[in-house]
Amino acid sequence: MKPFDPRLLRAVPAARRPVGVLAATGVLTGVATIATAFALSAVVVAVVERGDLTQPLVWLLALFVARAALAATTEWVGAWAGVSVSSALRASLLRAWGARDADSRPDPGTAVSLATSGAAAVEPYAARYLPTLVHAAVVPVLAVGTLVVVDWPSALVVVLTLPLLPLFAALIGRATEESTQRRWSALAALSGHFLDVVRGLPTLVTYGRARRQVDTVRAVSDRHRRATMETLRIAFLSSAALELLATISVAIVAVTVGLRLSHGSMALGAGLVAILLAPEAYWPVRRVGAEYHSAADGAVALDAILAELDHPQPPSPSPATLFPPNAAFGVGGEVRLERVTYAYAGSTVPVTRDLSLVAGPRLTVVTGPSGGGKSTLLDLVAGLRVPTAGTVAAPRAHYVTQRPFLATGSVREALTIGHPATDEQLWESLRAVGVDGVVASLPGGLSADLGDDGFGLSAGQRQRLALARAWLAPETVLLLDEPTAHLDPDGAAHLAQVVADLAERRVVIAVTHRDELLAHADQHVVVRRPDAAGSPLDTEESVR
Amino acid sequence: MSADTRPVWWPTAGTLRGGLLGGIATASGMALTATSGWLIVRAAERPVILTLLTAIVMVRAFGMARPVFRYWERLVSHDAALRLLADRRTRAYEGLIPLTPARLGRRRRADVLTGVVDDLTDAVDAQVRVTVPVLSTAVAGGIVIALAMALSMPVGLVMLALGCVVVLVSALAAALESRSLPELLAARAEVTRVSELVSSQSGELRAVGGWATAMTWLDRAHDTLARSTRRISAGRSLAASLYLVAVGAAVAVTAVIARDLDVATPVKALLVLTPVAVSDAVTPLVDAMRALARARGSERRVDALLGLSPAVVDRTTETAADTAADTDVTVAARPGATAYGRGGIELRDVTASWTGGRTDLAPTDLVVEPGTSVAVTGANGSGKSTLLAVLARHLDPTSGTYHLGGTDALDLPLAQARSQVAVVDDETHVLATSLRNNLVLARPDATDDAVDDALAAAGLTDLRNSLPDGLDTTLGAGGRGLSGGERARLGIARAHLSDRPLLLLDEPVAHLDPPTARAVVEDLTSLTGRTGADGGTRTVIMVTHRDDGADLFDRVVEVRRRPSATMTPTAVTQPGDRTHETGRPPRPGR
Repeated sequence: MKPFDPRLLRAVPAARRPVGVLAATGVLTGVATIATAFALSAVVVAVVERGDLTQPLVWLLALFVARAALAATTEWVGAWAGVSVSSALRASLLRAWGARDADSRPDPGTAVSLATSGAAAVEPYAARYLPTLVHAAVVPVLAVGTLVVVDWPSALVVVLTLPLLPLFAALIGRATEESTQRRWSALAALSGHFLDVVRGLPTLVTYGRARRQVDTVRAVSDRHRRATMETLRIAFLSSAALELLATISVAIVAVTVGLRLSHGSMALGAGLVAILLAPEAYWPVRRVGAEYHSAADGAVALDAILAELDHPQPPSPSPATLFPPNAAFGVGGEVRLERVTYAYAGSTVPVTRDLSLVAGPRLTVVTGPSGGGKSTLLDLVAGLRVPTAGTVAAPRAHYVTQRPFLATGSVREALTIGHPATDEQLWESLRAVGVDGVVASLPGGLSADLGDDGFGLSAGQRQRLALARAWLAPETVLLLDEPTAHLDPDGAAHLAQVVADLAERRVVIAVTHRDELLAHADQHVVVRRPDAAGSPLDTEESVR
Repeated sequence: MSADTRPVWWPTAGTLRGGLLGGIATASGMALTATSGWLIVRAAERPVILTLLTAIVMVRAFGMARPVFRYWERLVSHDAALRLLADRRTRAYEGLIPLTPARLGRRRRADVLTGVVDDLTDAVDAQVRVTVPVLSTAVAGGIVIALAMALSMPVGLVMLALGCVVVLVSALAAALESRSLPELLAARAEVTRVSELVSSQSGELRAVGGWATAMTWLDRAHDTLARSTRRISAGRSLAASLYLVAVGAAVAVTAVIARDLDVATPVKALLVLTPVAVSDAVTPLVDAMRALARARGSERRVDALLGLSPAVVDRTTETAADTAADTDVTVAARPGATAYGRGGIELRDVTASWTGGRTDLAPTDLVVEPGTSVAVTGANGSGKSTLLAVLARHLDPTSGTYHLGGTDALDLPLAQARSQVAVVDDETHVLATSLRNNLVLARPDATDDAVDDALAAAGLTDLRNSLPDGLDTTLGAGGRGLSGGERARLGIARAHLSDRPLLLLDEPVAHLDPPTARAVVEDLTSLTGRTGADGGTRTVIMVTHRDDGADLFDRVVEVRRRPSATMTPTAVTQPGDRTHETGRPPRPGR
């Protein structure tokens, strides 16, 4: 694990400024810390020699105020860096995924955890670990450099002992690596147990097994404590060893300075500066180690996110960019699939094999058995999936999926998510699909809150809202997956007419297992399971 | 003060010891700085070397005491905190049992439960991050003030004043932190919500051209988060800087006093350097106040949840669902199964409410013959899940009657009523244990053959055969992961193995793609009417939002939201030979 990954700055330009400001603040803090040592020793000298205190005190107070301002700035900039780096990473990640097809994205579980807790874990990494890292890179160097000028023998002691810290850390790490690894995995299992049992509570309660787990919870928590303490003991011991090493080094500086002072070969002021500066060379290095542990999650998440951002672009860009809606496709555009084969990522069995299809303006109805790849066909046309073989040429499409997305928010927001529309247009579309009455009866009408996932609307009403949105969409190609699924026969017949009207103006491809739509079809396509005998596709032209 | 009303930072015996040890460590650190100063100034007076030896020994002693005591303190306080954590986890787990599942919210219960686990950890964290550092600073501060007073009363008073300022600044920091924290947490939650939505629904969003709009939601959530982070960091910045200004002022005043003090010059140096050393002890307080606000918030959330009263009362014992709800009655209650399995379900005018406020289930009648399968549909919020919770005895009805096999279900011992029902929801939990253990928790005496039967019935034979160690393969966290479809099927296999006469399913296939969903429902409905070990026949009731194979059920009923409308079994909308009218006797076991 690298202390700092420069890929961060390349991948997330928004991170450059806060990280830069952090570095600058770190340098200034280092300078102020060194200067404070001088001012303090001047004050002490003035006190013991009963000299004039005014000037050193003014310096000292000014430096404390400056350090206070810098501490406030570090806190402030750290928080700013944390939130902007993690937000920028999350936004880049989601934008990158948005440009990819379904198979080049990680599975939903991984995607959600990376975009939520993963990006959030980077926040402490940037807010706390990075400032410490800057501090550790700047202050020891400044301290040793100053010591070389003020009192070189002390500088020599520091230069000889300082490398022992990382060396000891590495030695301790290596000596305990094996047992630490073993303990960590045991620890992960033990600490996961409580979460596992608690998340399983509904199941355990259902089957009357919850209460007998109480003793297990107690016993495992106790084992968890003992295992944690074993691991912590090693960690604490090694950090105590490093601290001891550092204090002994500082004590050597103090004693040699003391001896030289008593010989009269050194001035008091220089001696004081030396003993005040020596600790500054050691502790930032130790603190990096401590902060690194708390930021380790962030470092791991950062690595995973940067790897996702480095992910090669999908082999073929989405149809929307390949084939922008233009005159080349004729008045209404045209959808053309040539010998398209598609298998889900990781699967060798294709869902769709050797499928060819041309859908011109008007209504194409696709039917076929469950699992025959009907929805996959629409996904391919919409560019959400990329064929394993063959080509798909289609203008940008508006696609009403089986469970269409309806955002939390007002009816108006749900309908205009992809395109602007005036209230008159909204009402017109609602009238067209026959939910104007329902929406008008809602409190607030178009402003009525749909709530989480469209609270209070039946599946059929949601379906109609999604069709109203499709009605408003500017795209020339309309893909509908089971548009009449949740409706009673009358409603389905009405919506079939709506779909037919829509097909007057556009290319409409509808997947259905019901008859109402077929009556309006200009072209009827039957897909079969690829394993079924015969041609994978029967196309049957029908005229209204 | 009783254990439940204590503030979250209240020390345990262990962290009290940790605080004292930490105080010695901190004081040693201060003494190291001060005695080093004394040593240097004394050396500059060029005394006989031997007289310096005492000081050299002291410098070394303090230098070694600090890491040693710090190590000791960390061991003691972490052990104490982990003991407290073990205790609180056990108590919280016990407290959650009677609240499960009805009081855990109606959606995403696993997230609520994960929240409890995290909150407990944060609350106990206060011991190590707040109690011990504050005690350490207080102990060290007390020692320093006392010693300073012994050397010079005016300097001692300066140190006392510094101590008071530190207390005030800490109080201010804690107050500012507490004030801004809820806003920050809300902003974080919104970012999580939007990014979860965008990352899990990116296909649906792109399908309707809503991608760009969703990204503006994300940007807005990020802006709000940035604003509230700035606000909370303003408070932290203020505290961090005030500590340093106070220390600077204390050094200056001490220097002025010490200059003309009638003590040995090395002691003057010692006095001037003491407040400087204090700043090292005070800096950790910024973090401590931050952890305090966080722990208080977590504690409040845990208390609020655990303080709820259970949603069901056991009339036979006149107690809220607690111990009785969960003792292992699976075997003891078997006789009741006959009545249940043969008698069917009869709900009359049942209403129910999750919170006691608004009515979530309007007056509802429902009659289900044993051995039939029923799909319950209805708009979001119409009360489908509420109905299921009443049937499962997870929630007491507000009014109306609920009869099981002619007996008032509310008069049955809770544990007995519940032992008749297997519930499968849309978030089947796979425990981190073997496949066998994951199943037999539903019936501890099940043989491997019975387990294999259940797997076959739920369509999991292929999975079982593909596992390296068969039934002994570890699943769940740290083991083999299962797909959403496999998880749903595992829940169904569990329910089947339990051999309970009533199978209740709450949108078990909500998160599956349509072909998988339909396949799962097909396997599921084939379990209907099976004859159990006790001779009863199994009834299956499934709540579904979309028409995931609703046509495969014997009956489809719709729940309506309007308080005036009672639920009536609607005409079956899907044609098909498997549908038949309400009240038809159950077909023979399939």
